[in-house]
Amino acid sequence: MNTEAMSLQDFRALLQKLSAGAPGQDMTDEERVRRAKKGFMQKLNGHRAVDLDSCLQCGMCAEACHFYEATQNEKYAPVYKFRPLRRFYRREMSPLRWFYRPFTRDITVADLKEWQHLIYDACTGCGRCDMICPMGIKISASIRVMRHGLAAAGYVPDEMRVIRNEQRDQNKLFGVGVEQLKALVDKLGAQGVNIPLDREQADVLLFTTAVEVLLFPDTFAATARILNKAGADWTIRSDAFEAANVGIITGDDPTMKLAIRRIVDKAKACSVKTVLIPESGHAYQTIRWEGATEMGGPLPFETLSMPEFIAGEIQAGRLNLNAQSNGASVTYHDPCRLSRKGGVMQQPRDVLAALGLDVRETPANRRENYCCGGGCGEYVLENAADLRQKAFEIKRREFEDTGADAVVTSCANCRINLMIGAENSDWQTPVTSLVETVAASLAD
Amino acid sequence: MTLLDFASGPGLQWALWIFMFGVVWRLVGALFLLSRKDLTKPREHNSVAAGLGAVISRSAPAHAFEKRILFQHVTGYVWHFALFISVLFFAPHILFFESVLGFSWPHLPNTIILVTAIVATAVLIALLIRRATHPVQRFISNADDYISIFVVLIPLVTGILAFTHFGGRYETLLGIHVLSVDVMLIWFPFGKLMHAIMTMPARYQAGTAFGRRGVKA
Amino acid sequence: MRKDQSLGEYLRAQGVSRRGFLKFCSATASMMALPPSALAQVAEALENARRPSVIWLSFQECTGCTESLTRSHAPTVESLIFDAISLDYHHTLQAAAGHGAEEARMAAMEENAGEYLLVVDGSIPVDNPAYSTIAGISNLDMLKETAANAFAIVAVGTCAAFGGLPHADPNPTGAVSVSDIITDKPIINVSGCPPIPVVITGVLAHFLTFGSIPELDALGRPVAFFGQNIHDRCYRRPFYERGQYAETFDDEGARKGWCLYKLGCKGPTTYNACATLKWNAGTSFPIQSGHGCIGCSEPDFWDKGGFYNPISAGNWGSRDALLGAAAAGAALGVGSALAARARKKKAQAAEGA
Repeated sequence: MNTEAMSLQDFRALLQKLSAGAPGQDMTDEERVRRAKKGFMQKLNGHRAVDLDSCLQCGMCAEACHFYEATQNEKYAPVYKFRPLRRFYRREMSPLRWFYRPFTRDITVADLKEWQHLIYDACTGCGRCDMICPMGIKISASIRVMRHGLAAAGYVPDEMRVIRNEQRDQNKLFGVGVEQLKALVDKLGAQGVNIPLDREQADVLLFTTAVEVLLFPDTFAATARILNKAGADWTIRSDAFEAANVGIITGDDPTMKLAIRRIVDKAKACSVKTVLIPESGHAYQTIRWEGATEMGGPLPFETLSMPEFIAGEIQAGRLNLNAQSNGASVTYHDPCRLSRKGGVMQQPRDVLAALGLDVRETPANRRENYCCGGGCGEYVLENAADLRQKAFEIKRREFEDTGADAVVTSCANCRINLMIGAENSDWQTPVTSLVETVAASLAD
Repeated sequence: MTLLDFASGPGLQWALWIFMFGVVWRLVGALFLLSRKDLTKPREHNSVAAGLGAVISRSAPAHAFEKRILFQHVTGYVWHFALFISVLFFAPHILFFESVLGFSWPHLPNTIILVTAIVATAVLIALLIRRATHPVQRFISNADDYISIFVVLIPLVTGILAFTHFGGRYETLLGIHVLSVDVMLIWFPFGKLMHAIMTMPARYQAGTAFGRRGVKA
Repeated sequence: MRKDQSLGEYLRAQGVSRRGFLKFCSATASMMALPPSALAQVAEALENARRPSVIWLSFQECTGCTESLTRSHAPTVESLIFDAISLDYHHTLQAAAGHGAEEARMAAMEENAGEYLLVVDGSIPVDNPAYSTIAGISNLDMLKETAANAFAIVAVGTCAAFGGLPHADPNPTGAVSVSDIITDKPIINVSGCPPIPVVITGVLAHFLTFGSIPELDALGRPVAFFGQNIHDRCYRRPFYERGQYAETFDDEGARKGWCLYKLGCKGPTTYNACATLKWNAGTSFPIQSGHGCIGCSEPDFWDKGGFYNPISAGNWGSRDALLGAAAAGAALGVGSALAARARKKKAQAAEGA
C-alpha cells in the first residue's frame, strides 16, 4: 500500500518551524512563582508525599536514565529533576514543614527557568528510574508534578505550547483536523480500504493520531484492514478521532481533561464496547490508565491498545495470519507508556511469534527497556535534538546487539524518534510498526 | 549525675519520646495527605500481594540495571546486614529493646558482633567517601545526607570503643556511646534515617500502582 | 589502750610477733600499691606511729559500716589497727552515754585541735536539720563544729560519701554528703554499702605511714582501692566477652557461673576492690555468690533503674509515656495533613482543576 505520506524530512521541517508560531506570554516573575507553587500544591498528595519523604539520595536513578547514561551529566539524574518540588513539599506540605522551612530555600523564578530544560528536554517521563529506585519511589510521577507547576507558570517550551494551543483551541494537531481525516478516508476508500466513517453506533470506536495521518497513513490503512478482516463492528468519528493528548505531555491539566473528555463523550455517545487506541503510547496511558479517574467514574467501555486487540482477535480465532517461514528476525522495542507503564508486554511478542518471526530481545527489554529517547511528543523540541541523538545511540547499540533484521514497535512516536535518530546517524536497519507487520501477513 | 546516668536516663527518655513523636507524626502526616482513588479497571486485583511483593523485590535490582549499580547494591546489603546484626543481636542491646518492646530474642556470640560492627563501620566510611566523590552523589547530596551518616557512624565507632574498653574509662566510653545513640534517635524523624520506616509504604505503593497495570514493580 | 603507747608497742602488747608485724606491713604496702622497697619505710612508720585521736560521727546511717568493720569472726591485724587508734567518740562502740559522751567529744577536739581525724558515716539532712539530731544538736551543726579543727575527714560508706540511701529519690530529708557541706578540709571518700573493712584500715594505715591523704580519684576515693572497676577484675569476665549469660538466678547459666549482666550486674560501671580483695577476709563477693554487683560504692546507685535492671536497658521511664508520645505524634500528623489538604483544596478550587 502506498498512500501519500509526508516524508520524514518534510515533517522535520514542519517541526522546526513550530516555535516561530509561539504566542508571547506576559507574566511577572512573582506571578510565575505563585502559579508554579499553586500547580505543585494541586498535585501533591499522599503518594507523592511518601515518595518525597523516602528519597535516600543514593543516585541510582541516574544509572537508569538514558540521558544521564548518554552524557554523564549529573544534572540529568532523575532525583535532581524534581528537586524544587521536594523543596516546595518540605516548606509547604510536609508534616514537619515548620522544622524544615528555616533551612529550605524557597522556589525562585530562576529555578523554574533552569528546570525547564531538565523537565522537558532531558526527561521523557519514561519511568525507567521508577524501576530502579530501591525505595520504590515513582520518580516520573514527581517529575510530572514538576511539569504541572512549570506549565502553570508558563514554562511549557514554545514548540509544545504551539501544539497545545492548537489542540485546545482548534481541536487540531499539526494542522490535522476533520478535513484532513476525511480526505485520507476518501483516498483509502478509493484504494479499496473500507473505513466506516461517522457511524452513530458501533462495537469498536477506533482513534488515530495526527502523526499517523501525516506520516504513517499506511499504518492507518493497515488498522482498517485488520479490523475488517476480523469482522469487527467498528467506526471512526471525524468529529473525535484524535487520540494524542498534548495536555498530558506538557503538564497542562485542563487541556488533558478536555482531550480525554472529547474521546470519552464520543465513545459514550456511540455506545461502544471498545475504544481502540492507535499505535501511541501516551494515548493508551491517558485513556486506559487515567481516563476513569479524570472522568470521576469507571468507563462504560474497555480500552484496548492495538497489540491487545490483535492478540485477542488471534486468540478468538477471528484473525488468521500467514506465518512467515523465512526466518526473518525482529526485535521489539517496548514503548514505555505501553509496556512499563501500560502492562502491554506479552501481547506484541505473541503476535510477532504468531507471524513466525524470530523475536530477539534487546539486553534491556520489557519493563527495563530503554526509552526511544524522544518521549511522546518531545521530538518537537529543538533544544533537545542533541540529547535525543545521544540517547538514540544507546538504542542503536541495544538493537545491534540482537542482530535482528528489523525493529518493530507499536507507538508512532517511538517510530518517529527512532527514524530521526537512524536518519541522523545513517543507520540502515528498518523501523516498522507492529500493525503494518500484521496487516502484511493477513491470511484469507 | 554522671554522663552515663544522663545519657541512659533523661537523655534517653527525651530521645525516645522525640523519636516516637516525630516518627509517627511524619509517617501519619505523609500518609494522611491521601490520594485520589484510581478508578481505572485494574489488571491485577490482589493489590496487597503486589504491594508486599514490591517491599521484598525492590531489594534486588532488575536484571538490566545490575551491572551499573553493583557497587551500591552489594555495599548496601553488606552495610545493612552488618548493622542489623550488630544492633539487634548483641545481648546488651537486646536488653534495651526488651525494656522498650516487652519481648526479646536470642543473641549472637560477641565475637561475631565485633566483626560485624567493624565491617559496618568500614563499609559506612566507604559509602561516605563515595558520596563525597562520586559525581552524581556529590552533586545531589546535602547536609541531611552527611549528618545522617555521621549520627550513625559515631554510635558505631563509640560502640566498638566501649565494647573493647579502648580509649578511656568504661563508663565514660559507654556514656558517650549512649549519648550518641540519643542524638541519633532525636535526628531520626527529621532526616534521611526515616527511610528505615518509609521503605515499606514507599515500596508498597509502587507495588500496587504498577501491579494494577500488570507490571511487576 | 594507753594514749602514750606507739602502735608498735601496742601490737607487741597484744601478742603480735615481729614476723607477724612485718607480714602485716608488707600486706599493707602492697594494698597501697607501694613497691617492695617501701617496706622498710612502712615498718618504721607504723612501729613509731602515735595513736591518733579519732572522732567518729554517725548521722543518717544504718550502722552497717561500723558492723562491717567490727564484726569479724576472728580478730585480724587490720582490726587491731582499728582498735589501736584512739577512738575518742563512737556511738555504737563507746561506753559513755549522754552528757558524758558529748563532753568526751569536746575534750578530744580541744586536746587534739588540728590533729584529730574525723570519721563520718551516714548522710546529713539539710531540708530540716531537726530530722536527725544528737544530744539536741543537728547533724549539720555537729559536722561543721567538729570538722572545723580536724586534720582530715574520712567519709565512710556511700551515705557519708555521696548521700547513699537517704539521698535516693525522692530524698525526703534532703540528705547530702559530707563533701556537700565541708569544702575546706581534705575529705577521703571510702564509699561502699558497706565498704570493705580492709579498705578503711588501709586508709588509716596510709595515714599512720605517711601522715598524709592517699591519692584520690575524681570522686575523692582512694585510687588504691577504687581505681579499677569490678568488671575488669571479675573472674566471670570471659563469659561476658563470649556472650554467655545467666538469664535467671537458677537456670543453667547461673549454675555454671556465667556472667550476671542480664540480671542487672553493675560491675562494668562500679569501682571498688570487691573482685580482688573480696569480703570476709577474701572469702567471696556478691558476684561469686551468684548475685550481680549492685554498684554500692557509686553515687546514686539506688537510682540507676534498679538492681535487676541491666545497664544497657537504661533508665528511661515508662512505656506508657512512649505510647503517649506516639499518640501525640499521630494527632499532629493528622492535623498537619488536614491543614495541608485544606490548602490544596483551595488551590484546586481556584482553577476548577
